[in-house]
Amino acid sequence: MGFGQFLSAPETKLRIVTYRDVFQDSAKVVSIFGEDYEKLSAVIKLDPKDISKLAIKEGDTLILKNSSGKVIVKALNSGYDNPHTGTAYMVNSPWSNSLVPEDSGVTGVPDFKDFEVIASSAKGEKVTGIKEII
Amino acid sequence: MKLDNDYYVCTGCALLCDDIGVELEGGKLNKVHTACRKGFAFMKGCSNPMECTVNGERTDMDSSIKEAASILKNAERPLIFGHANSSSGAQKKAIDIARKTNGFIDDTSSFCQGPMVEAIMEGKLKTCTLDDVRHKADVIIYWGADPANSHPRHMSRYSYFPRGKERQRGWEEDRTAITIDVRKSDTAEICGQNGFYQIPVKGDAEFMDAMVSALSGKIPKTSYDLDKKKLLELASILKKAKFGVIFAGLGMVYALDDREPLYKLMDKLNSVSSFHLIPMAGHYNMRGFNQNLFEETGYINRVKFSSGEVLHGPEYSVVEVLRQKAVDAALVIGADPLSSLPRSVVRYLEKIPLIVIDPCQTLTSAKANVTIPCGLVGVETGGSAVRMDGVEIEVKQIVDTDRLSDEEIMTRISEAL
Repeated sequence: MGFGQFLSAPETKLRIVTYRDVFQDSAKVVSIFGEDYEKLSAVIKLDPKDISKLAIKEGDTLILKNSSGKVIVKALNSGYDNPHTGTAYMVNSPWSNSLVPEDSGVTGVPDFKDFEVIASSAKGEKVTGIKEII
Repeated sequence: MKLDNDYYVCTGCALLCDDIGVELEGGKLNKVHTACRKGFAFMKGCSNPMECTVNGERTDMDSSIKEAASILKNAERPLIFGHANSSSGAQKKAIDIARKTNGFIDDTSSFCQGPMVEAIMEGKLKTCTLDDVRHKADVIIYWGADPANSHPRHMSRYSYFPRGKERQRGWEEDRTAITIDVRKSDTAEICGQNGFYQIPVKGDAEFMDAMVSALSGKIPKTSYDLDKKKLLELASILKKAKFGVIFAGLGMVYALDDREPLYKLMDKLNSVSSFHLIPMAGHYNMRGFNQNLFEETGYINRVKFSSGEVLHGPEYSVVEVLRQKAVDAALVIGADPLSSLPRSVVRYLEKIPLIVIDPCQTLTSAKANVTIPCGLVGVETGGSAVRMDGVEIEVKQIVDTDRLSDEEIMTRISEAL
């Protein structure tokens, strides 16, 4: 038990953009309750500067929360050439949908691909399981 | 469209690839040839098939159908939702059930490609078939779309790599592929640096206006940084197109508050060259549901039947009726709203009697009062479906099954009403 656990983790606001991934989608077809699907879904891709700002390492878990919900996911470096500080990417999944605001605005469609969260280190907690989401 | 007897249709996505070879062993599907990773997984079947249950207890088909009918009979405002992964026959029965029960009926297009399909069906957007694209398209724009992930055979079978009748030199010389997106997707990588236009999130409408300016010979303006020279080069490519096509992905659909900027762009493009639009529908028969409901009611989704009257509007969308708690029971077929909708919206489904019909267990079925397994369309049962471009495709059964088809189950529920 280290002293660090008593310190509050740095928080940062992130704009989340969602995308599709054929490997994750195929894993869903096999079993939405499967380990592969969770491994490929409970993930957020960040700019390296945001990883530093959050005082975490790649592969650590992050708490993502907003007024719609809260999930714990694994943080990965996006690997994109262009910097995208403040914007992070999540594959479309029940994990991202837990954070999508229900307000559907003028179009009647929720903002599945563009919403904000507050991110902070989960300090080693496991990613949220699919059964916890439902 | 009739198929050669040796080939089958993959119902893994709305491309409905009709060149799938299979090998059977002991009456079961042993090998699947030609399908993509997702199609292969879809056709081989899930690892957690659905069972007949009522209130969590296993039961038989007759009992679960009887209970489903009882829930719908006792409901005053049922919701019949899903349909994107259902055969056209089952969709038509679902419309009958909604009509009989004075229910709400909606599908996944309500929060997906509905606006594009609606505009096409109302004749507001010029469209074409995927076969036209394969044989004629020389300029292809993937806008907010990433077919390399969402429809893995899209580029190889139809839109970029194949040699078509009028495109014999293929992608190397005969086709120009362009991606407009908020991030460098796998599809953008294929289009190359010169073919990739990165825009900010929700920057689509402004980019459309800037393209209209560039196509009119004016200096394009946007509130965000934009390489004006590169945009003028894009305008030049588009003007020279003999047969252009825009594949509209969810990135574009979700970014537009209304379709006016897209209409203006399409009008401009068609005044200087020839451009078409195809919505990148995801599930294999979302477009079929839109067409079936349109034929019945004049609307593609978001409908409420009320004593013979047809009501339509955003207030009848699945999102709004769940948010407003306007329904008192739900039948979900061919969809998994607990997976695909915001958690805060679908939580209400757990508070009302819920029926789920699907080949596999889903997040929604985990909360259902009644679950009814159906055969997997395209493998265990046949039927028909409508491809993302509006072409109807006949789907053949490959293996025998004890399971009823989705259409048979919906027919029996309808009869029990």
